[in-house]
Amino acid sequence: MGGLFSYFRGLLGAREMRILILGLDGAGKTTILYKLQVGEVVTTIPTIGFNVEQVTYKNLKFQVWDLGGQTSIRPYWRCYYGNTDAIIYVVDSADRDRIGISKDELVHMLREEELANAILVVLANKQDMAGCLTVAEVHQALGLDALRDRTFQIFKTSAVRGEGLDQAMDWLSNALQARK
Amino acid sequence: MYTLLHGFYKYMVQKDEYCVLILGLDNAGKTTYLEATKTKFTKKYKAMNPNRITTTVGLNIGKIDVDGVRLNFWDLGGQQELQSLWDKYYAECHAVIYIVDSSDRERISESKETFDRMIASEHLSGVPLLVLANKQDIPDCMGVHTVKPIFNQNAHLIGARDIMLMAISALTGDGVDEGIRWLVDCIKRNSIDRPARNHDDNL
Repeated sequence: MGGLFSYFRGLLGAREMRILILGLDGAGKTTILYKLQVGEVVTTIPTIGFNVEQVTYKNLKFQVWDLGGQTSIRPYWRCYYGNTDAIIYVVDSADRDRIGISKDELVHMLREEELANAILVVLANKQDMAGCLTVAEVHQALGLDALRDRTFQIFKTSAVRGEGLDQAMDWLSNALQARK
Repeated sequence: MYTLLHGFYKYMVQKDEYCVLILGLDNAGKTTYLEATKTKFTKKYKAMNPNRITTTVGLNIGKIDVDGVRLNFWDLGGQQELQSLWDKYYAECHAVIYIVDSSDRERISESKETFDRMIASEHLSGVPLLVLANKQDIPDCMGVHTVKPIFNQNAHLIGARDIMLMAISALTGDGVDEGIRWLVDCIKRNSIDRPARNHDDNL
């Protein structure tokens, strides 16, 4: 009976998953959002405010919010935390100087009560650049070993080349479905 | 008064929490094992389709309640590059489950070397070790009798720790149960040296 019910609910379409894309300015958040939505690399300008799009990936609907990453507008991220299912945290792997700031923002964000159940995906973006950080280096630089009660996964991506995004979305949709 | 009663209630229902690391080379089946364990010990748990499990780069967590205690699992990525991150978790864990791919004869010595490097860490002294010869569902894989002698070398590194080697198949779930129950007994026995996490924090 329960199976039948969930079958019909599946036909009617389940609740849209709410996903936030966060990270410092210039990490590539908007490029990733539009790469996911239209499959193309669009020319972006620094986001002031936010972009929100509905993304369908393998029959799953996501409402994806891309919030501006500049220092002055980061404090407003928290206004969007409620009901969030997953966070995609984008890191510019070529920006070794600001990885520390990126870590501080991440740590700060994960302390929020509202995000306690959100799944975390870290995208080590800009892997097409020479001399960028490896996955293990990103893991260490972001202090992810301090996370003990949250499932997370790191992916190497290059948004402009479209590499790694599919793996990340595959994993994320599996993780979100398994959690239901 | 409420606080007192509430505190007492919490004290009564609170379970001792222990942390268990799941380690092993990449593609040994750690995440599949975690899913199998969750399926065995959680009612109505819908496991992820094993075909859709991908290489872990990060952390998968799991919680199960068994024999009056709660186990928190940390399943880490096993790729060479990620092995350097394992030791960050050693000091806080209460047991280690080490998964071996019994069908991969070429990498068994690499797996053994990685195992030796792991148990040589002082942060893991006294921690119970459960070694699982996984993928027993594959025909022509190595059985316990082949894997055991390999991992029994270097007994001096193992020292006085509890260690057990079992054959399992994470895919079919065979042997998962026995391993966890053995481990829980060891963790309880060892809890004087490694007390449970937040044993009285919440009171």
